[in-house]
Amino acid sequence: MADLQDQLHATTEVGELDDLVHEPFPAGPFPPDTAEPYDPVSDPAAAPLERARAILAAHPVADGYSGLPWALRHLPWFDLELGESSVDTDVPRLREGHVGALFWSLHLPEGLAGDRAVGATLEQLDLVNTVVRAHPEGLRLAYTAGQTTDVRNCGRIAVLLGPAGAPALGDSLGILRSLHALGLRVLTLSGVSWASEAGLTRFGEEVVREMNRLGVLADLSGASEETIRRALAASKAPVLFTRSAARTLRPHPANLSDELLAAVGAAKGLCMVPLTAEQTGPSVRDVADHLDHVRRVAGPESVALSGTYDAGTAHPQDLADASCYPHLFAELLHRGWSEPDLALLSWGNVQRALRSADFTARAAQQRREPSTAKIAELDG
Amino acid sequence: MTSLDEARELLREFPIVDGHNDLPWALRKQVTYDLDARDIAVHQNAHLHTDIPRLREGGVGAQYWSVYVRSDLPDPVPTTLEQIDCVRQLLARYPQDLAPALTAADMESARAEGRIASLMGAEGGHSIANSLGTLRGLYALGVRYMTLTHNDNVAWADSATDEPGVGGLSAFGRAVVREMNREGMLVDLSHVAATTMRDALDTSTAPVIFSHSSSRAVCDHPRNIPDDVLERLPANGGMAMVTFVPKFVLQAAVDWTAAADDNMRAHGLHHLETTAEAMKVHRAFEELNPRPVATVSTVADHLDHMREVAGVDHLGIGGDYDGTAFTPDGLNDVSGYPNLIAELLDRGWSRPDLAKLTWQNAVRVLGAAEDVARDIRATRGPSNATLESLDG
Repeated sequence: MADLQDQLHATTEVGELDDLVHEPFPAGPFPPDTAEPYDPVSDPAAAPLERARAILAAHPVADGYSGLPWALRHLPWFDLELGESSVDTDVPRLREGHVGALFWSLHLPEGLAGDRAVGATLEQLDLVNTVVRAHPEGLRLAYTAGQTTDVRNCGRIAVLLGPAGAPALGDSLGILRSLHALGLRVLTLSGVSWASEAGLTRFGEEVVREMNRLGVLADLSGASEETIRRALAASKAPVLFTRSAARTLRPHPANLSDELLAAVGAAKGLCMVPLTAEQTGPSVRDVADHLDHVRRVAGPESVALSGTYDAGTAHPQDLADASCYPHLFAELLHRGWSEPDLALLSWGNVQRALRSADFTARAAQQRREPSTAKIAELDG
Repeated sequence: MTSLDEARELLREFPIVDGHNDLPWALRKQVTYDLDARDIAVHQNAHLHTDIPRLREGGVGAQYWSVYVRSDLPDPVPTTLEQIDCVRQLLARYPQDLAPALTAADMESARAEGRIASLMGAEGGHSIANSLGTLRGLYALGVRYMTLTHNDNVAWADSATDEPGVGGLSAFGRAVVREMNREGMLVDLSHVAATTMRDALDTSTAPVIFSHSSSRAVCDHPRNIPDDVLERLPANGGMAMVTFVPKFVLQAAVDWTAAADDNMRAHGLHHLETTAEAMKVHRAFEELNPRPVATVSTVADHLDHMREVAGVDHLGIGGDYDGTAFTPDGLNDVSGYPNLIAELLDRGWSRPDLAKLTWQNAVRVLGAAEDVARDIRATRGPSNATLESLDG
């Protein structure tokens, strides 16, 4: 088991260059590019809302959390293509809001934990497959960063599968691999014996390693502080907080303290700020306050968005459904956010996290076989 | 040329498609999926009926790996996912020999490449926990047949080895069959009660299979197929894959097993118990009553009869290796199939008929299920039926 412990230090992310003592390629006709150049897409003189739409048209929102699957489960009939008034999300509103990708949550209600969780998660995955296939003009499933971009280039909205709750694993890495084979890409690490208030157990760390090997991102919103710290250290791919804002501004158990926000920034993770009255406040300005704060503490590369629509929570005024993102971006422009930072907030950071997870997985699969660890052996 | 040489030559062109092999469950029970501990690239004679050298020797060209889980334990769905993961890991580990296969075309490609087409079958409706969404999930993971029950009834279908429950298939049971037709998952009627077989044949618009069952007229055991059901296979287009399990195919072994079970119960033990004390009781019984041994000829008798009733276009082979403790003489493990083919040659089976038995029928049946599924999908969406809504 020695090798299991060896990997528990935080490592630099894929794509980051080590410091080189000597410049191997002297500056010449092809100088090495360190930062990608940014081409502005909006007219600085235009009205904020107009600018916001122009920026979003080029850098659509990758939304970290949608409760749509569970909301649709109970509708006898729905049409997301033409518009569906019984939910907050449909294709016309996603288009109006310039949403280019969204994570569909497979979280289950509290009562469905335990034995039923695995089967219910299979049903949720099946439902998502059915819904997406029924709306081929608007939606398309994506499993990797490349596919997400591809879907966007085809003029569709990418649907990524997850986060699912950790109980969906039934405490088994074999089940994790089967769910990954069905498309699962994000898993929330809470609500199980191996990711509890006490933090990650040895099996929990093995789950994180297997997730890294497969390319399943860890979601730590709602996880205990101990779990968060352990997962930040153990995960070789960036971690997500699919529904977390700043605790300094609003005390909510899923919101992050400044200290944790700084740690997330250092680990190049993503704090995806939810647009909910409960976690961020009742107005667009409250949401913008959180985004300002997270950007300041965690850094512009670690902040992203999470609509949290159709998840049964109230939303701030003017952010009632998936069509409202331009209002938020207008407010951020008003506050002096630069275009490159807005591009990172909406699309760039999520793309970077997905791509990094893909790279990490490919590298890990080269050096490691599927884990055969059992919870009884490690946590026994 | 001896018949055995001829059999081997024939199998090189038309290898065996085997309907049922329990290697995944054996790997789970023996080594909890530690595939290093049972490297099937080399002989595992001491532990398993199945490994790649013996599959090659036996002329196997396609295998339905069973992702069986016990029906009397909790959590059938999670355990089924672990079984599926085991098969996927085997495929990732031995790509030179095992080819992932999801369709009839994949089976033919594997044959052309000289690899063993690997398909999956779920053994028992308990694996979907009364959920059509879960059924579709298993299909998405590659499962291409589901046996409607194992040894116990499910809420919507009766098993051959349980008391009558819903009397065949319930309304939800028929919805399960229709949804399997829509997906292109074969309906497997091994293990189910004769009433369930008849209901399923009435309901299914695609060919059905018996992944590992023999003839009830030859040997009267509930796991075997009655003649009136075999007679319906030509109209349905499906197939019966003969199994080798001695306690199903040899009357003397059926009687002996019943007596052995009675003996266990007389000692106050469950008949399937394997504790040291139970094994002592069992060995004492075996000492006094030698276990009857089935042979290649026993299995061939079944095939001869099934061919008379169902026709040669509706036969196949499902050995149930690693799912049974005892095997017939000459069919001791997966290397034994050529002996059966040789016996059939001696009995006058023609080469074209044997090609149907070993390979062509199974490929045709899976392809037909795909065609039916394509037609249904064009007109019907996935079903949201539930056990509660249909069976109340």
